Amino acid sequence: MTVYNFYIFDRNGTCLHYAEWNRRKQSGMDREEEYKLMYGMIHSIKSFVNRISPTDLKDGFLNFRTSQYKLHFYETPSGMKLIMNTDLSVGNIKDVLHQMYSNIFVEYVVRNPMCALDQPIKSELFESKMDDFVRGLSFFPLRVT
Amino acid sequence: MADEVVFEYLHMEMISYLYRTAEKIEQDHCISKLESLGFRVGQSLSERFTKDSSRFKDELDTMKFICKDFWNSVYKKQVDNLRTNHQGVYVLQDNKFRFLTQISSGKQYMDAAPKYLAFPCGMIRGALSNLGINCVVTAEVSAMPACKFQIQIQRL
Repeated sequence: MTVYNFYIFDRNGTCLHYAEWNRRKQSGMDREEEYKLMYGMIHSIKSFVNRISPTDLKDGFLNFRTSQYKLHFYETPSGMKLIMNTDLSVGNIKDVLHQMYSNIFVEYVVRNPMCALDQPIKSELFESKMDDFVRGLSFFPLRVT
Repeated sequence: MADEVVFEYLHMEMISYLYRTAEKIEQDHCISKLESLGFRVGQSLSERFTKDSSRFKDELDTMKFICKDFWNSVYKKQVDNLRTNHQGVYVLQDNKFRFLTQISSGKQYMDAAPKYLAFPCGMIRGALSNLGINCVVTAEVSAMPACKFQIQIQRL
């Protein structure tokens, strides 16, 4: 079990925060380009899922998986998007992403007057809190086999 | 909890408004403006918080009131350490000052610290002045979120 990387996007598609832990393969493009690609894909999937759904959706898009990884998506009513890539064995982590938003993002970014809300986050305190939180997750450690 | 946050956001906005509207030259004024705003608030607060308590014995008693009741009502915690040289200088140390805890836990954003301490300084000065103590209050930060307020009593 492990966490690969994590993105926060705001409503306008700006990447506010990016962190990675056990990512062994890079996308081979500029980080900025990668953010755009990621945001664009999420945006498309969201509208795709909503359009194609045969019944009214309650939660909308939550996650997808490939043979190698699983992408978890959480969106707040204000349009903040939290995206975490983990390996396949991780179940539903909606509440974990919600905690990251409410206990760390709101606490150390929204309540920090030095952080502009539409700019990438520079606060070291926020970054270290995020890192500690993710490292403390039950599914963070690489399973030793 | 939301009620505590209201004061915090208002304080943040007050500072950013003052600095945004001030011209380059009068930026130094902002600190004293904030301080005098705090002074007025502190005056009223001390009136309100002491309405049920009995008269204070001496200066130290008044300082203890500031450290305990006043701090508790405004910042939801007590001052961590109170020191004095018995010659009119008191140092109040708060290891987790409310306005600084979210900003940083070290040296980052250090240059912004004075703006966020002017109002609290004024508040202490206002409260004390209403309790009959004239003083000068300064704040000092070596690493956020810890902060020291120095109160120098002026004797005439």
